[in-house]
Amino acid sequence: MTEARRVGITCLGCGLVCDDVTVAVSGGSVGDLSPACALGSEWLGSGAVPDRIRSSGRDAAFEAAVATATTLLSDSRGRVLVYLGPGLTIEALKPAVAIADRLKAATDTATTAAAASGILAGQRRGRAAATLGELKNRADLVVFWGADPARTHPRFIERLVNATGTHVPGGRASRAVVSVRIGAGGAVDGADTSLQLPAAAELAALSMLRSIVAGGPVPDAAAGYPGLAELAARLVGAKYVAIVANGEGGDPARPSQGSEGLIALAQALNTPVRAALYILRSGDNRNGVEALLTWQTGYPFAVDFRSGVPVYGADRRALDDMGSFDAALLVGDWRAMPAASVAALASLPTVIIGPGATDWPGTAGVAIDTGRAGIHEGGTAYRLDDIPLPLAPALDGPRTAAMVLSALEEAVSRSLREVTA
Amino acid sequence: MTAGSTLRIVGGTVYDPANGIDGETRDICIADGRIVADLPAGAPALDARRLLPEQHAADPVPAPRLAGGHTGRSGTGGTVPSTFTTGYRYAGLGYTTVFDAAIAPLTARHTHHEMSDTPCVDAGCFVLMGNDDYLLKLIDAGERDRARDYAAWLLGATGGYAIKVVNPGGVEAWKTPQRNLTALDEPLGSSRVTARGILETLTDAANTLKLPHAVHIHANNLGMPGNVATTMESFKALEGRRAHFTHLQFHAYGTGGGWKSAARELSDWVNNHPELSVDVGQVMFGPATTVTADGPVEYLLYKSSGRKWVNIDVELETGCGIVPLEYKEKAAVSALQWAIGLELFLLAKDPWRVVLSTDHPNGGSFLAYPQLIQLLMDRTVRDARLKLVNQKFLTGSALLDGLDRQFTLGEIAIITRAGPARLLGLRHKGHLGVGADADVTVYSRQDDIAAMFASPRYVLKQGELVVEEGHLRLAPSGRRLYVRPAHDEAVVTGVRSHFDRYSTVQFDHYPVQGLPNGPIGID
Repeated sequence: MTEARRVGITCLGCGLVCDDVTVAVSGGSVGDLSPACALGSEWLGSGAVPDRIRSSGRDAAFEAAVATATTLLSDSRGRVLVYLGPGLTIEALKPAVAIADRLKAATDTATTAAAASGILAGQRRGRAAATLGELKNRADLVVFWGADPARTHPRFIERLVNATGTHVPGGRASRAVVSVRIGAGGAVDGADTSLQLPAAAELAALSMLRSIVAGGPVPDAAAGYPGLAELAARLVGAKYVAIVANGEGGDPARPSQGSEGLIALAQALNTPVRAALYILRSGDNRNGVEALLTWQTGYPFAVDFRSGVPVYGADRRALDDMGSFDAALLVGDWRAMPAASVAALASLPTVIIGPGATDWPGTAGVAIDTGRAGIHEGGTAYRLDDIPLPLAPALDGPRTAAMVLSALEEAVSRSLREVTA
Repeated sequence: MTAGSTLRIVGGTVYDPANGIDGETRDICIADGRIVADLPAGAPALDARRLLPEQHAADPVPAPRLAGGHTGRSGTGGTVPSTFTTGYRYAGLGYTTVFDAAIAPLTARHTHHEMSDTPCVDAGCFVLMGNDDYLLKLIDAGERDRARDYAAWLLGATGGYAIKVVNPGGVEAWKTPQRNLTALDEPLGSSRVTARGILETLTDAANTLKLPHAVHIHANNLGMPGNVATTMESFKALEGRRAHFTHLQFHAYGTGGGWKSAARELSDWVNNHPELSVDVGQVMFGPATTVTADGPVEYLLYKSSGRKWVNIDVELETGCGIVPLEYKEKAAVSALQWAIGLELFLLAKDPWRVVLSTDHPNGGSFLAYPQLIQLLMDRTVRDARLKLVNQKFLTGSALLDGLDRQFTLGEIAIITRAGPARLLGLRHKGHLGVGADADVTVYSRQDDIAAMFASPRYVLKQGELVVEEGHLRLAPSGRRLYVRPAHDEAVVTGVRSHFDRYSTVQFDHYPVQGLPNGPIGID
């Protein structure tokens, strides 16, 4: 029996991207994430991933599979969906976006509707934000607004709220923590103060808070929301406020304008005090996909290359328009796709490249298994605050997604040149 | 350029100020991407007769069709183009070396990813240090030697090229109830740290480390009326020491109330202090995006403009603010800023120390360089434009009093190529002497100066023809420009301890790795 050794990794189990964790590696498997974290352990699994290459329902050699994928995609140029899924490094995503550009494809990502709503609100209004370390080092008031970090970002409290900081020498004892539950959404245990707001009242509450912190009187209507006036007083009495909100959607009854209201509040707070809004995003390099698309195309998601230039299709996502495609390239973890999209792809020639590609329920045109970013593959991934971190793989995996997608990009480019010539 | 390949650019009118050549008709010979003295007869030739070679330093954009059936990448334009488009557009104007003038160390890995996706240009970045928590602690403790070693370590860890200072101490103050530093000797919080101490420490660090570029300073009080007092005080604080002050136009507003030009006062000082260099930060009328580490300035701009606003505080290091803006010729302050920029150029006695810049994208896009060059070279165009702008704050300005200077082509070659290359310590760039990088721009002579500079006939990057007749032919990857200065390794112990306590990133994960080429050597 092989003796386990401990190695450091960068965990992509959630958007915190903890790079201070270790795992036990024994033979070809991995486990015992430390410090313990339910989401991290779920992400890590045993490290086992399939290692196969399938083409038209049969095992295939790598070169043949890439050639088949190239033909399948190139023949459908202009009518291809490229899904940029989670679980890939920036280094793997770069050739994937290049393929989309060259094929004049429409792209979609694992950016949820709630996350997209928040991004769009930021594009309209801007944002008052900070990296995670500013919360740790400066925040003397932390307001969890409809957030449940114990469930979505299990080490948030330990790493950031309870920790001592440059301006918060007593750690948790030097901060006030307020939990605001919105409708049936999450809340924080151990807060100094807790509020409950009906989902339908969120926007009104945010507006009242914004008005008060801007110097206005406490409106009479605030009396209908116990604790709201006190929260406003705490906000303007702090030095550095961190507002922490769930970016991936909580109570489906919440109005989509909530993100905009939070941004406006955070911005307004920067006149009487300093404040930053933190949006909790999921892991597996979702922020990285959006960062890469932004620097390469100007837009963070829903980038449509079909007219030969990047067009922002935020109001008409490709995954909601499956009937317009003749072929699809799915990179990363296809399991993040909505079930309806997976079902719609059953009738399309599809190329799947990523961890667990050959587990695709239908008969893919081509499926090539790769490792998963952070477990088997090194490279770069982004935190929820858009800070890039290096990944240190713990296990050898199948061929890397970066290698496979680079080979495919080269083959697609060659194929298109031949057509042009 | 493939090994062994050669090219002779035949019969152009050559401007190579670093080698004293000012409009001579001669050939330029290139082998293996470098300038050589001569080539055998029969070498491949590019006809540049009647042409002018110079050495050089959100609209959707389709993918360019390149030579050999290759295609480039699509993108978006506007005031901040996407990465591939940025590279293509710089090359399209004849510029093939570019620096990102301010990056947060924590985001260095991101910057390098972006630079890898910016083709056609050699690229580097300046690293923000003027509000770095660990550095400020060392200054507070009087440990300036250790601060120098920390700066050296930080440059190496981030793959940076130069030390950048933005609003020294003011960005850290912005994160506290103090909110800004507005005077050079105002202490930061309860510490002994002042803007003066930060400026002195980092200026001396850059010079003691013999960095190829001087400390690159964005002074306190950017954009504020009367800020020339702070700028002059900063100049005087560093008198006798090599230093570069950036976007001087934004720091050139006169005292005594209201808005007025202080370009004469600043130019007098710059003219008489050869240790000092500046770039102008010219405002060009039209849309711009202000983006800076100077968080408190962007807050004020947000409050005064009512435009959308991004603020990002970066832990232990710096900040960032973004506000979109439009400079209008009928707006009095915009017109004053436009005029001050031109004054700073036209009053400069030594063009080698006054660099052309728009502080892209803050004063305007780099795409406006041709129009700016025209304003400098053609007084008729300049005076005609001056009549159209708001005159309210121009009273007493040198420009309104009449500046008849017209830059020559040789001087334009200095302020856009030879001068910046020399100030950046890039010995293989900015000239056409033997051994220089064969980065050459060839223009067709035209009466319309702006049109001429907007569309070079040929652009060569390391001897390869990148742009021909306005069309991108090749999009090669550029080299990375960075330094790795020597330092006392003992400094790392303290940095690691600081990291372990306060950073959210593991110390071992902080340095960037895998850069595409080695560092620039330091003598």
